[in-house]
Amino acid sequence: MEGRGIPAVVLGTDAFVSLGHTASAALGLPHLPVVTVSHPIGGVAADDVRKRADGIVDAVVTALTRDPAPVSATPAAETVSGPDDLDAFQEFVMTQGWGDGLPVLPATRSRVARILGRRRIDEVVATLAPRQGIATLQTIAANAALAGAGPEHLPVIVAAIRALADPRFNLFAIQTTTHPCTPLLIVNGPIARRLGISGGPNALGNGYRANAVIGRSVRLVLQNVGGTKPGSTDRATQGHPGKFSYCVAENEEASPWEPLSVERGFGRHESTVTVCGSEGPHNVNDHGSTSAEALLRALIGTAATTGSNNIYLGGEPLVVLGPEHAQTIAASGWSKRDFKRAFWDGARVPLRAFSAENVERFAVIDPERFKDKPRDTVIHVTKTPDDVMVIVAGGPGKHSAFVPTFGDTRSVTVPIAE
Amino acid sequence: MDLVSPTGTAAVTVKRLAARRASLAGCRIGVLDNSKPNADALLGRVAELLVERADAASIRIWRKPGASHPAANHEEIAAAADVVLTGSAD
Repeated sequence: MEGRGIPAVVLGTDAFVSLGHTASAALGLPHLPVVTVSHPIGGVAADDVRKRADGIVDAVVTALTRDPAPVSATPAAETVSGPDDLDAFQEFVMTQGWGDGLPVLPATRSRVARILGRRRIDEVVATLAPRQGIATLQTIAANAALAGAGPEHLPVIVAAIRALADPRFNLFAIQTTTHPCTPLLIVNGPIARRLGISGGPNALGNGYRANAVIGRSVRLVLQNVGGTKPGSTDRATQGHPGKFSYCVAENEEASPWEPLSVERGFGRHESTVTVCGSEGPHNVNDHGSTSAEALLRALIGTAATTGSNNIYLGGEPLVVLGPEHAQTIAASGWSKRDFKRAFWDGARVPLRAFSAENVERFAVIDPERFKDKPRDTVIHVTKTPDDVMVIVAGGPGKHSAFVPTFGDTRSVTVPIAE
Repeated sequence: MDLVSPTGTAAVTVKRLAARRASLAGCRIGVLDNSKPNADALLGRVAELLVERADAASIRIWRKPGASHPAANHEEIAAAADVVLTGSAD
């Protein structure tokens, strides 16, 4: 609006004011006025909210009739001097806002140069929301150096950053939402074995350097280049542990079906990374069932819940089948597509399970599925069977996982250039 | 020790804000509702108070398709409003 000569003012709550300022700054309007009321305005009676308008109307008039103080932007320095002592360095990194709380390694010129190898340092890989930060190869390598990654990990990290900037992923929302989501990286193809990216036992947990440093490097790039700071511009109410690092390979050897990358048009010999805006994994324990139909009961029961983003925003939640569960399903003669259809059909919640307030809200967001529907209407967890993502990962055992997403995001698969 | 900055620069050119109005008397107030819960109540009431107390002429409300998507109808809003109120985040 400002660019069209129309004065504008942003209204928000005091808890979210830093996000409003960052969003305005990313549009080139760091001085755009933001007027706040006390948080929260959601989940309270509309009349209470209307009363709060009284206290801010003078500030709104001022914002639209008086020029704000000018803001000067200082470009970030390319190099920074830090303490030599490693323990002091940890404090320094947190003070700079570069860390995730765990110890990091110094991104010295020589370590960054070793990670970059012969690549062009100023090549721009992506521009990252909400800051509109420019992710050059050198900047990505600096974050990889902090995270403890080596040169061999860089191609996966760079491909993931490229995928995250795809508009379908909706990075601005993923970076700033109150919802607990973060990019889950799924690696397919020969690079996973070569780098030791685990898709086997405890693959979504600890114990594998490649999984740990690749996921962590991506998180640090999103924080430092994309400009999301926990509690400030990253507005996650609670977050989840995968925000430290969230990277897994598909266990292609143990899968009875084609891998995710092949579903998406790549060859088995090609390496890809798929990014999803994901919650943490929720376990599906089934030690008893011996057929696909029987096992489906536990899987859909875990997925069909009233509090998920996917149920009213759509999107592509992920089923991570443990190899033994995948074999049980395939032994019933089901293809991956058969499984997706059956899962979609079964994973549904009756409208009467939602509160009246939520049905009213969802009807505004998704009238096709929620507006003026009888109470016994069923709402599927995904809009279509194709929106159910399925991979096989893990080791021996009778467990699978369901991973919901932010909803208003699509997963993106890109090839890894080596 | 010398460290490579992990933040890089931002692809942002600082733009000028639109000239502020001398007063809101006679102005057409545009409201761009970000569709977060109760944003309509807050934005709508502020707009009403601008009419009551600052002699603004009229109120027109547009709603974003979803909170996590940008508004698409900027041209239409710019043509039909003299000042705009909008919401950010929750």
